[in-house]
Formats: sequence, C-alpha cells, structure tokens
Amino acid sequence: MKRATKKKIKKVLFWFVVIFVFVYLIFPFYWALNSSFKTENQLMMTPATFIPRDTQGNFAPTFDNYKSVFTNPTFLRAILNSTLVGGITTLLSLIIGSFSAFALGKLRFKGKRLFLYLVLSMTMFPQVTVLAGLYAVINTLNMSATLSMILSYMIFTLPFTTWVLTAFFKELPVEIMQSAQVDGATAFQTFYHILMPLTAPAMVTTGLLAFIAAWNEYLFALTFTSIETQARTIPVAISLFTGQIARQEPFGEIMAGAVIVTIPVVVLVLIFQKKIVAGLTAGAVKG
Amino acid sequence: MGKTPKGNILKNEQSLAYKLLIPTLVVLAIVAIYPLGQVVVTSFTNRVFASNQETKFVGFDNYARLLGVTFKVLEPKTDKNSGEIIKDEKTGAIVYESSISVLPRTPNRYKELFQFNWFGKRIVVGARDREFLVAVGNTLVFTVFSVLLETIIGLFLALVVNSNFKGKGLMRTTMLIPWAVITVVSARIWEWMLQPGTAGFFNMIMFRLGLSDGQASFLTNSALQMPTMVAVDVWKTAPYMALLILAGLQMIPKELYEASEVDGASKIRQFFQITLPLLKPSLAVALIFRTLDALRVFDVFQVLMSSKMYSMASYNYFQLIQNRNMGLSSAVGMIIFILIGIFSIIYIRSFGVDQS
Amino acid sequence: MKKVLLTVLLVALLSVALFAEKTITVAAGAVGIELELARQAAAEFEALFPGVKVNVLDTPDMVQDRLGLYLQFFEAKSDKVDVYQIDVIWPGDLAQHFVDLYQYGAYDYAPNHFPAIVENNTVDGKLIGIPWFTDAGVLYYRTDLLEKYGYDHPPATWDELEEMAEVVMAGEKKNNPDFWGFVFQGNAYEGLTCDALEWIASNDGGSIVNRNQEVTIANENAVEILDKVASWIGTISPEGVLAMDEEGARQAWQAGNALFMRNWPYAYALGNADDSAIKGKFDVSVLPAGKGGSAATLGGWQLAVSKYSKDPALAAQVAFFMANYDHQKARAMQSYNPTIKTLYEDPEVLEAVPFFGSLYDVFINAVARPSTASAPNYNEVSTLFFKAVHKIISGDSNDTMATLEELALDISDVTGFEPVFE
Repeated sequence: MKRATKKKIKKVLFWFVVIFVFVYLIFPFYWALNSSFKTENQLMMTPATFIPRDTQGNFAPTFDNYKSVFTNPTFLRAILNSTLVGGITTLLSLIIGSFSAFALGKLRFKGKRLFLYLVLSMTMFPQVTVLAGLYAVINTLNMSATLSMILSYMIFTLPFTTWVLTAFFKELPVEIMQSAQVDGATAFQTFYHILMPLTAPAMVTTGLLAFIAAWNEYLFALTFTSIETQARTIPVAISLFTGQIARQEPFGEIMAGAVIVTIPVVVLVLIFQKKIVAGLTAGAVKG
Repeated sequence: MGKTPKGNILKNEQSLAYKLLIPTLVVLAIVAIYPLGQVVVTSFTNRVFASNQETKFVGFDNYARLLGVTFKVLEPKTDKNSGEIIKDEKTGAIVYESSISVLPRTPNRYKELFQFNWFGKRIVVGARDREFLVAVGNTLVFTVFSVLLETIIGLFLALVVNSNFKGKGLMRTTMLIPWAVITVVSARIWEWMLQPGTAGFFNMIMFRLGLSDGQASFLTNSALQMPTMVAVDVWKTAPYMALLILAGLQMIPKELYEASEVDGASKIRQFFQITLPLLKPSLAVALIFRTLDALRVFDVFQVLMSSKMYSMASYNYFQLIQNRNMGLSSAVGMIIFILIGIFSIIYIRSFGVDQS
Repeated sequence: MKKVLLTVLLVALLSVALFAEKTITVAAGAVGIELELARQAAAEFEALFPGVKVNVLDTPDMVQDRLGLYLQFFEAKSDKVDVYQIDVIWPGDLAQHFVDLYQYGAYDYAPNHFPAIVENNTVDGKLIGIPWFTDAGVLYYRTDLLEKYGYDHPPATWDELEEMAEVVMAGEKKNNPDFWGFVFQGNAYEGLTCDALEWIASNDGGSIVNRNQEVTIANENAVEILDKVASWIGTISPEGVLAMDEEGARQAWQAGNALFMRNWPYAYALGNADDSAIKGKFDVSVLPAGKGGSAATLGGWQLAVSKYSKDPALAAQVAFFMANYDHQKARAMQSYNPTIKTLYEDPEVLEAVPFFGSLYDVFINAVARPSTASAPNYNEVSTLFFKAVHKIISGDSNDTMATLEELALDISDVTGFEPVFE
C-alpha cells in the first residue's frame, strides 16, 4: 500500500476514534440536559426524543424542573456545603499529603515502606464496612457533621495524595535539591520554593481528583448529616428530591440538579487549571 | 569520637521525615484506627447490626462460611433396570445426577457454584456462600475489563490533550464532564438511558435504525449485564485516568521530544522510547488506585443492579443492612482488604514503586 | 367527647410537667405533600402544647437508604430521633428498638384502625407502631382498550387477564411496538415479594410461612402460578419487567404502553394529571384470582416510638396525634389511604377521592407479608424469596419445584422453621 494512503487511513482511523470517544463522553450529559427540560409525561414518551417535544411533535421545553430546584433551599445550601467540605478536605489532603510525600520521596529514613503500606491500607476497605465504626467514633467525640465528613473523606483522599505526590516527588531531579542545599537552603525552603512549583501540575491534578471524590461521596454524607440537615451535601440533597406523592421519582428535577452542579465545576476547572499551574510554576527557579 | 558530618545530615533528615509524617499519623489515629480495628474484631464474632442480642466470639466461622468450597464427583445417571448410562435425547451428552443429592447438607449446606469436566469425570464445585463467591468473580471480571478500558481510553485522551491536536481544548472540556457529574446521579442517568422500551436512549436508537424492536433489557439480560456495568463505570473513570496520566505527561521535558525529532524518530517510537518509560511511575500509581477503586466498586452496582448482581462491596452492604449480619459483613470487608492488598503488592513490586 | 376529655387531661398533665422546652423529633418521609402534612400536624401539636417543639426530619424516600439510616441510629442507640416512620414489614425485625404503645395509651386508639394492620404491628402482645397510612396492591386497567376489544369487565382470574392481554396486544402492537399487556414489579427486590405473594396467595399457595412456623412455599399451586408468570415474560409482559419497580411500571403504564398494571394506589392520581397520556382512560379493580380468592399485599407505614428516646410518653402522644382521625382525613384528601375504618365512609373523603370506596374491601382483605411471623429475620427471608422468584420468572430455573424446595431449605436454615414438602 502506498505510504500516502497508509497515512490517510491512519488519520481517518484516528478521527474515528476521537469522535467515538467524544460522543461516548459527552452524550450521557447531553441526555441529562435533554431530560431536564422535559415534564414527567414527556419523559415517559416512547420513543424518546432528542429534544423535548410534546405529543404533537413540537419543541416544548419546560423550565419547571429548574424552577423547582432553584427554589429548593436544601439544594442551594448543599452546594455551599459541598464546596466547603470538598475544599477543606482537598486542602488538608494536599498539605498533609505533600509533607509525607516529601519525606517519602526525597528523604532517607527507616520504615519508609511500612509507612507507605500503612497509609495505603486505609483505602483498602470498602466504605460500607467502616461506616458503622466511623459513626460510633463521631457520636462519641460528638463531632459536627461537617467536621466528620472532612475527616472521613481524608481516609480515602489522604493516601491518594500521599502516593501520587510521592511518585512525582521521586521523579524530580536530585541535582536541583542538592544545589539548593549547597546554597544553604534548609530542607523546608527547598521544599517550598523549589519542589512545590515544579510539581504544580501534580498538585493541581491530585487536588482536583481529591476534590471531586469528596464532592461525589454519598454514603458517609447521608449518615452523618441525617440529623444535622443543614450540613447536607449535594449527593444527599439530590437523593432527597422527591415528587409530590410517595414513590414518585422526579427524574427531570434530578437531571436539572445534576446539570446545575456540573456546568460550573467544569467551567471553573477550565479557567483555573491553567491559572493555578501558571501561578505555582511562576516561583520556580529556572536553569 | 563524634558523629561524622554525614551521620548528622542523615539524622537530621530522619528526624525531619518523622516530623513531616506526624500529621498523617494523627489523622489515621482519629478516623481510621477504631473503625478499622472494629471491623477486624467484629469479623470474628456473630454480631448483629443494631441489635441488643449478645455478641459471641465465633473464631473463623464467618470466613469458613464465605470461603467454604467443596469438590464432589457426579456420577452419571443410570437406567434402573438395564444399568446403562442415560444420555440426553437431543444432544447425546451424558446426563448426570443432580448436584443437590451429592453436595453435603449438614452441618453446613453447600450450593452448586459450577461444574466442569476433569479427565472424564464430572466435578461439581459447591460453595457455602455461593453469592459471595459469585460476587467475587463478578468484581474481578469487572475490575479487569474496567481498568483495561479506562487506561486505554485515558491514555488516548491524555495524549490528545497534551499534543498539538487542533481539537484538544474541546477534548479537555469533554473529558471533564463525566468527571464532574455526581457519581450516584451518573448511575441514574445511565439507568435511564438503558431503559427497556424506547423511552430509553439505546433502545430508541436501535429501534430507529431498525436494528431491533427496541425492547432490549440491558440490566436483566445476563449477557448484557457485565458489559453495561463496565461501560457505565469506564464513562466515569476514564477521565480520572486521563487526568492522572496527563499530569505525568506534562512533567516530561519537551526537550527530550525535540531532540528525538531531530534524530528522526517517528511518533510511535517516541511514545515507546520516551513517553512510556518516563510515564511508568505515574502510570503505576494511577493503576494502583484505579484498581483499588474498581475492586471496591459500590455505587454503580447498588444503583443499577441492587440484588440482581452483586459486587463484593454491594454484597457487603446488603449483608449489613438487609440481613444485619455484622459479623459476616465485617469478614467480607476483611477479605476485600486482603484481596486488594494482594493486588497492591503485585502492582507495587512489578512497577518497583516502593524502591528508593 | 372522649377525645376532648383525653385532650384536656393531657394538656393538664403536660403543662404541669413541662417547664423547660422539650423537643420531639419525628423521622418522616421526604415526599412533598407528605412532608407538608407532617409539618402541619407538628405545628398544630406545638400550638396545643406550648413548651413542646416537634421537629420533622426528612429521610430518604428509597426504602433501602432509609432502613440503613435507621439501623445506624439504633446501632448507636441514638436519642436524637423519638418517633420513627416505619414500613409495614419492619415491626417484627425492629421490635426490640421500640416501646410498647399499649403502655402509653394505645388501647384507646388501636380499635379504630384496620385490625389486619394492628395485628401486623403487634409483636409478642406489644403494639410496636400505630398505623399511619396503608397501601395494598390493585389492578389498573385501560377502560378504553377493553371496550375497544369487546370486554365489559376487568379480568377476574389470571387466565382471563392473560387472554385479554393477548388479544389486545395483537391488535395494538402493530401501531405501537412499545405496547405490552401487563406490567408489574418484577425486579429482584421487596416489591417482587409483594407481587409474588399476591400471585401465590391468590392461587391457594399459602404465604411462604404459616402460623405454625412451617415453611410452606414448596407446593404445586405455587409452582403452577409461578410457571404461568414465567410464561408471560416476552409474551404479554416485556423482558424489561424483570428490572421494573413501581416507578418503572408506572412509566410504561402512564405513557399508554400497557393494558394492565399492578401497582399501589398512588398511581391513580398521577395517571389523571392534566398532561397524562391516559387521563380518564383507566380504572382500578381488585387483583385477579387464581384457584383461591383475590389477594392484595398489605403495604403502608406506621409511627413507632424509639426506646432510646428521652421522653417516650410525650413522643407517643405526638405519634397518636399525627395518626388521629383529623390528620388522617387531611392526608386522605391527598390520596394517602387512611387506616381508620370510618374514614372510608366519610362523605368529604369520598368526594375528593371517589375510588376509595372500592378500596375498602381491598384493605380489609389484604394479605400481610410474613414479616411478623418470621421476625426477626424477615428481610433475609424476603431476600431469599424474591431472588428465587426472580430466578423462576426469568427462566433461569429449569425445575421450578426444585428451586422452591431449595428456597424452603434456605428459609428453614435462617428461621429454624420446619419446611413442608408436598
């Protein structure tokens, strides 16, 4: 086969895969968006429609779902709660995790392996198993719902940030560190002024992933906020969306809630990811 | 004789290291020790969840129940009069006796897990807790396929976004969307799309394209269940992989690629000689955590499958909440822990992640 | 008159006892109207008894999640919730966490409610929960389609239902490939226990466990009816029915894609909503019968008082108040089936919800799931049951009797009851 044809085929194949992946990733969200503008009876229509239509086939979106979601005080407060819990969990996980990661990645000491495995073992249990015990701890210590969520989420996010950052710290060239030490910088100064900016992409990524893990968590949040209802997070608030009558499931509203929560997150990440990375690397020492 | 300067530096490093590790240990002490300790202890008891019933220590009983298997030989059915072996009229295969008559019933009942042929003999494998072993099997299959697919797609996405491809901005945005959708809601969206009947998206498409009558039931058809679960999970997790791999890619200095281009290496060669080796540590960590998460999968199985198909973690949940068997569910938790531990050690050793 | 005296007595007693403000927390549902009504009742109680604050807590509507939550509270012996809204199948399993309402004045209230429900809520002579609202399975049918194909009454037997479904489907499927004859709750969950119990009991197959603590499920009548249902999958019921819960069935039904539906009464009001495709085109009747008589599974919710509450006496008063005639009437106007018998003859209620009149017979004759009989293991028994039934109706079992026999052995293992084989 001619080289040019081969290249063309590769290109077509490549584009095919790109389009397939693109559709796979975005379509369910489009479907959620579509459903959020439909009334319950439009949702039941067979066959389903790509855009909200009424029985005559005309374009007929409804804004009722969004209205009901925006006037739901629990949901609006939940957005704040989730942001708070997610933010603090992420910050703490990154800070504490990077301390440990620095030690594990760059310093020499005994018991490194033991510590790594110990930290990892925290995440090896499924959430359900530790729930009862955690709830007992929280009740005994009389912790507030928000604090209990933050600490519980750390069980899963802290090992994650520790391990990922350790891997990245290890990759960093030792020469930069050594040259800094020769210059008289303490280990901590080396860490703060040199290593942190260099691992900016890792920090941001790990932070985002840790944030979204806390953002998405349902089981613990449900249990811990059962009494303190003002501390409810988004997954719990959405699960409490109900119709007017028992058993009725307001699918359209749930979709509207999902859309309202997803879009700002994506937009914020897009805007800030570049900025944060740029900001952190600005302090790096070049050459 | 004082300490050498090098000895001092080492000592300083060590003490700094320990100081840096203290915050993690504090968090561990508060939130992890009691719950995890309780799981370990409870797994050796017959404790009932939310009950005033007295808890008794039962040793390894729970484990014996979960992991108890037995092998029995099945004899072919013979005609009572002639003594000849009975064969199935249609297929000609030998008809064997029912496994219920062969598997032990007291003191513990064993239920059939599966049968197989071994050198002309038919062996039936019986299990005391068939559902648990099936759940383990389901989880393992799910993990293998899910991690494989999400790594491939994640790698593809990360490479595309990291390159000079024209649509990379769009890809980056697209990648973030499944990641940002709340997990329990995403399971509900897929459940809605998978509806049997043309109110569900997939059936609607198949119907409109004339491929089927639009009544496929994805969640009850045993052939379609696992692929569906994998597709739903990969949708949510491929972006995770992509983000982790992307971070790793961004740390590879561009100069290496430029130098290699000058040398005339093709993109594929660059990938295998530069990208992959330098990506290994971040890829290793990503794989460890994604595999851990896949082995612990709960949300998608509980929402989409509930009691039709269990993963280890959803089986754990049902044992705890439905049957209130806290001892058993703690033992399940421990087994999950050990299984995950084994996987982690294998990964870590093969990738050499814990080497200095 | 008695009510007024009682109230006055209570006010007197309570005003003396109350110097500090007491809080009673009620864990109720999250559903719109229901929550509204509960909060209204709470406010009325607060007005009658100043110094008492009644806090209504909303909990997840998904039964699984709610049970999980309650269990966490009980495990922690929490005193944060005083009154719990419990499902009709929970008194047996959770009895140890609730007080005996007879000790707190329930003798005055219990006789007003349906005896079947009160009996269901009584464990070892103790009244665990005061009935709040009830539910029973009914058959929904399309009046327009039955008329079109020449039928003048809803099916009285399962055979009739099958025949009608076949005829109508043959006609309607040509224009509407999504049309099916019968939709019900076929997913592997508690809802299937409800439906299957109806099939089996209506065919004289018993109700899984009998009063003599025997497991009777493995019998020919049960095999017969379950095989019949299995034959419906793919013929008059879509394969997707095996994943349907109440809402799933209602979705197919309300879009106009089903001739018959088995569901709880809640779907009636929703089906007559303004933009519903089947508005005015359907009605309800009792479920068809098999060899025996028609059977409907009892559902509904009760109010129970926690043993760990700081003031169970006051909590009990709140519970009785919220479940009294006036409040049940207010809820009845919003389609919540009351448990107080006389409300079914109240003219205002009948005007607001006309089909309640026909439901009276259904509720009086409803079949309770064996939750109290198999306490404290009902959940486990039910799980074994619905899994076995799901296996049979999916066609995954090649020998129905053998599956039922294994089920009987399993239930026997859990409960210690003797299995009875035919």
